[in-house]
Amino acid sequence: MHPPAAAIRLEDVRLTLASAAGPVNILAGVSLEIASGETVALLGPSGSGKSSLLMVAAGLEAPTSGRISVSGTDLTKLGEDALARFRRGAIGIVFQSFHLIPTMTALENVAVPLELSGARDAFARARAELDAVGLGPRVDHYPGQLSGGEQQRVALARAIAPRPAVLFADEPTGNLDGQTGADVADLLFALHERAKTTLFLVTHEETLARRCARIVRLKDGRIVADERSA
Amino acid sequence: MNRIALAVRMARRELRGGLAGFRIFFACLVLGVAAIAGVGSVAQALLTGLADQGRVLLGGDVAVHLVHRETTANEHAFLAARGRVSETISMRAMAYALKNGAEADRQLIELKAVDGAYPLYGAVSLAPQISLRDAFACAADGGRMVCGAVVEQTLLDRLHLSRGGLMRIGSQDFRIAAVLANEPDRISGGFTLGPHVLMSDTGLARTGLVVLGSLIEYSYRVAMPANASIAEFKAEAQATFPDSGWEIADRNDAAPGIRKFVEQVTMFLTLVGLTALAVGGVGAGQAVGAFLDRKRAEIATLKSLGAEGGLIFLVYFFQVMAIAVVAVIVGLMCGAALPFGVEAAFGNELPIKAAFAIYAGPLVLGGIFGLFSAAAFAIPPLARAREIAPASLFRDIVAPVNARGRLSYLLASAGAALVVIALALVLAPSLSFAAYFLAGVAAALIVLRLAAEILRRVLMALPRPRQPNLRLALANLTRPGAATSSVVVALGLGLTLLATVTLLDRTISVQVKDSLPGTAPTFFFIDIQPDEIAAFDKDIAHFPTVSGYKSSPMIRGRIVALNGIAAKDAKVASDARWALNGDRGITYASVAPKDANIVEGKWWDANYRGPTLISFDADLAKGMGLKLGDSVALNVLGREIVGRIANLRDVDFSNGRQNFILILSPGIIDKAPHSFLASVRVESRDEEPLYRAITDKYPNVSTVRVKDAIAQVNGLLQELSDGVRAASLITILAGLFVLAGAIAAGQRARLYDSTVLKVLGATRAQIATVYAIEYGVIGVLTGLLALGAGTLAAWLVTRHVFEVPLTFDLRAVLLIVVGGGAATLSFGLVAAWAALAAKPAGLLRSP
Repeated sequence: MHPPAAAIRLEDVRLTLASAAGPVNILAGVSLEIASGETVALLGPSGSGKSSLLMVAAGLEAPTSGRISVSGTDLTKLGEDALARFRRGAIGIVFQSFHLIPTMTALENVAVPLELSGARDAFARARAELDAVGLGPRVDHYPGQLSGGEQQRVALARAIAPRPAVLFADEPTGNLDGQTGADVADLLFALHERAKTTLFLVTHEETLARRCARIVRLKDGRIVADERSA
Repeated sequence: MNRIALAVRMARRELRGGLAGFRIFFACLVLGVAAIAGVGSVAQALLTGLADQGRVLLGGDVAVHLVHRETTANEHAFLAARGRVSETISMRAMAYALKNGAEADRQLIELKAVDGAYPLYGAVSLAPQISLRDAFACAADGGRMVCGAVVEQTLLDRLHLSRGGLMRIGSQDFRIAAVLANEPDRISGGFTLGPHVLMSDTGLARTGLVVLGSLIEYSYRVAMPANASIAEFKAEAQATFPDSGWEIADRNDAAPGIRKFVEQVTMFLTLVGLTALAVGGVGAGQAVGAFLDRKRAEIATLKSLGAEGGLIFLVYFFQVMAIAVVAVIVGLMCGAALPFGVEAAFGNELPIKAAFAIYAGPLVLGGIFGLFSAAAFAIPPLARAREIAPASLFRDIVAPVNARGRLSYLLASAGAALVVIALALVLAPSLSFAAYFLAGVAAALIVLRLAAEILRRVLMALPRPRQPNLRLALANLTRPGAATSSVVVALGLGLTLLATVTLLDRTISVQVKDSLPGTAPTFFFIDIQPDEIAAFDKDIAHFPTVSGYKSSPMIRGRIVALNGIAAKDAKVASDARWALNGDRGITYASVAPKDANIVEGKWWDANYRGPTLISFDADLAKGMGLKLGDSVALNVLGREIVGRIANLRDVDFSNGRQNFILILSPGIIDKAPHSFLASVRVESRDEEPLYRAITDKYPNVSTVRVKDAIAQVNGLLQELSDGVRAASLITILAGLFVLAGAIAAGQRARLYDSTVLKVLGATRAQIATVYAIEYGVIGVLTGLLALGAGTLAAWLVTRHVFEVPLTFDLRAVLLIVVGGGAATLSFGLVAAWAALAAKPAGLLRSP
C-alpha cells in the first residue's frame, strides 16, 4: 500500500528575479511537504518571500530551479496554458486584495472558474456557494456595491467553488478590519472543513496562523522553523 | 466552440465597464470608415447617374464621330438602316459682335450645328423657352439673310450683347434668339475653349467656314430600336467599313472622361480614407494598449483562476472588435448619408444628374476596410496582454514576458493588414498609383516611427538642462508611457500627406503658370487655309515684337496599326496608350523643324518624294515598342497611309509650343486637303493690335489666346488641388484625434505632477510653461519630420512621374511646421488647463 501522495511537495525551490540593481534571490532553496487535508500557515516578516513561495507553489510563477508538485502533478514540467488548465480544478486562490472582476456580478465572479472548466451548472453551483457564505441575497451585486468583507467572501466562494484539492490564501484578512477579518477567517476554516481541502495560508498574523495545524516560518527566502501548532 | 462561446460571454460582461478609453479608437474608426463609405457612395451615385443617363448624355444609343469629313452615302445608309440619325457638326470659330453693322468685340466659340432631328434624347434648355426650329429660323433683314442662333450667357457678356443682338460668324450674320442654358449631350463633348453656340446646319453652311481640311468634327447619333444590340452595331460597322476611321461611342460609356475622372478621384479619396484609418490605427493601438494596461489585474486574476492565454486573447479581442463593429456601423451610417448631404448642398451644380441612393457596394467595402484595419492594429497589444503573468497580481513590476507577443498573433495582424492592402490594390483603377501611394504611407509610417525613436533617445541622452521648466519638459517627453512616439507618428503622417499634396500642387501650378510665359506662344491660329498662309505669314511678321512664329500644315488622323498589328490589339505601355485613342494632329515637312531634337535616325532628304517616312516621338515609340524602320499605319480622311519610321524625336510637351508626335515626309499626305496651324509670341503691347488685325482680316481663322486657355486649365487644377488638400485634412483630423487621445491618456499623470509641483511651490505659469515647451517641441519636431518626409515624397513624384523639378514653397513650410506645432500646443494647453485648475488638497487627500 502506497502512502497518500503529498498535496504539495517543494524540493530545493529557488527563485531569483532580475532587477535594475542586479539579480535578487527571493527563495533560497525551500523544501517543504504538505499532506493532503493539512492546514499550514506560512509566517514571516515583510519581504521574507512568503507571497513568492505561494506563487510558485500555486503555479503562478515558475521557479528558477527546484521541483514543485501539487496533487502529484509536477508543475515545473507544465507550460503556461497547461498550468492554467491545471489550476482550474486543482487549485483555489484567495488574495489579500480580493481581485474580483469589477464588471461582473458576485454570481458571475464565482461562476468564472466553473465556466472555465466547462461546468454546465456553473451558475447553480455558484449560487449555492454564495448562499453558503451568506451572500445569497447579494448575488446580483457588483464588487463596487459590496463591502470589503463581502468582497472577500465572494472571493472565498469563488476559490472553493470548483472544490480544489488545495486552497491557497494570501493574507486573506490583510485588507479587512478586526471583526470582519475574524469572520472571514472563520468562514475560511469552515469551508476547509466542509470541502476537505488542503489549506496553505500566507499571513503575518500570529493569531491567524495558530488556527492552522502546522506553522512554517520563513526568513530571507529560507524556512527557519516548521512546527506543529499547539 | 465552447471556448468561443465562453469568451463571448465573458467579453459581454467585461463590456459593462463601458467604453471609456475607447473614444479615440471609436472616433478614428468612424472617421475612416465614413470617409471611405461616403466617397464610394457619392462616386457610385455619380457613376450610376452617368450610366442611367448614358443615352441622353451621349445624345443617342451610339455616336459615330469623324474628323474632317462627313459620312459617305454608303456609311450614312448603314447608319440610317439601324435607327433614327441626327447629325451635328462641331468646330471652333470666331464670333464678332455687330454694333451698328460693324464688327466690334470678338470671341473664340465652340460652334455646334444641328439638324432637325436633334436632340434624339433629352431636351435643349433655352431661355426663353422657344423651339430650336423657331430659334434657328433664317429671315431676310434689310436686304441680307439673318439666321438665328442660341448662345451661352458668357458669350453675351464677352461680346457685350444682349438677346436679340447680332453677331457675325464667318460670312453669315446671326441674331441671338435665346440663351442656351444646357444641351443634353454637352458633357460628352469634353474640354472646351470658348462659350457654346448652337445653330442649324443651314446656318453653318451659310458661314462659309465648312472647308475641306478645316478642323471640323462630324457626329452622327443613332437612336436604335429597344431590342437592337450595340455590340452587333459596332461589329458590323467595323466589318463593313474597316477603313472609315470613325470613332464609335455608345450609351454604356457616354462620358468616358468623366467616368475615369470620377473613378480616379474616388481611388485617391479612398486611399486618403485608408491613410486616415492608418493614422487612427496608431491611436487605436495605443488606446487598446492603455485599456489592457488598466485590465492587467483582471487578466492576471482570470489567469490565476485557470484561463489560458488563448481565452484571454479572445475575451479582449471580442471586446475590441465589438466596439469596432459599432464604430464601423456608425461610420457606414455617416458614409451612406453623405450622398444625400452632397445632393442637398451641390445637387444643382453637378454636371450630371447623380442617382443618389444607398449603395451596398461601398458600404460593404468601408465595413471590410474598417474591421480589418481595427483588427490589424488591435491584435499586437492584445497579443502582449495574452502574455501577462498571473504573478503580476502580487508584484507591480514583473520581469517582462515575451514583450512583443507571439509570432502567430503578429502574423494574424499582418494578415489583416494585407487583406486591406490587397483589397485596395485590386479595386484601384490604377494599380501602380495605389501601390505607390500605399507604399508611401507604409514608408512614412516606418520613417516616422524610427524618427520618433531616435528623437526619444536623443532627448534622453541630452544633458538635463539646469533651467527647471526645460528640464521637466524634457523629462515629460521621455518618461515611460509618454505619448511622444504615437503623436509623432499619427500627426506626422497626416502632415506628411498635406506637405506632399501642397508641394505637388505648387510645383504643378508653377509648371503650368510660371514656366510657360518664357517660351510659350501668345496665340494659336487654327484653320488657316492654304491660300491664306502666305499672306498670313507676312501679316504676322509686320508686328515688331513678334518672336517664335511658326506655321505648320495640319491634318487630323489616327494611328490604326503598328507593324501591321491593329492599334487596339497592339501591346502598348499604359503611358503611351493615349496616342492611339482618337485622332492626333499630323504635319509634314521637307526639312527638319528648327526645334526638332532628333535622338535616333536622320531626317529625309529635302527633295525626298518616295514612300512615306515618319518622324516619331521617341518616348511614345518606346512605349509602343517601335524602332527605326518599323511601319505605322494612319487613317486620314478615311484613307490609309502607311509609313516607316525614319527618325525619333524627343518632344517636350511642357513648352506649350506646337508639338507634333507625327511628322511625315511630303509626297502623299500633302495631297490631302488640309489647313495650317500657326503660333506666335508677341509682347503685351502688340497683343491686342495683333489680335484685332488678324481676327479682322481672317474671320475664318480661330484665334486661341493661350493665357485664356491656361487660365481655364489653371482654374480646373486649382479646384482639383483645393479638393485634394481638403481631403488630406481628413488624415490631419485623425491625427488630431490621436493627439487628443494621447493627451487624455496622460491626464492622470499630469494631474498628479502638477499637484506635486504646486505643493513644492510652483506657480501655475511655471507649470503651463513646462507643458507649452513639451507640446511645442513635439509639434514643431513633428512638423519638421513631416515636411522632410513630404518633401521627399513630392520630390520622388515630380522627378519620376512629372519629370519636372520640385518647386519648394516657403508658405508650405510655415503652414506645416507652425500649424503642426500650434495644433499640438493648443491641444496640450487645453489639457493642461484642467491639470492647473485642480486643487492640490483634493488630490492629496484621496487614496
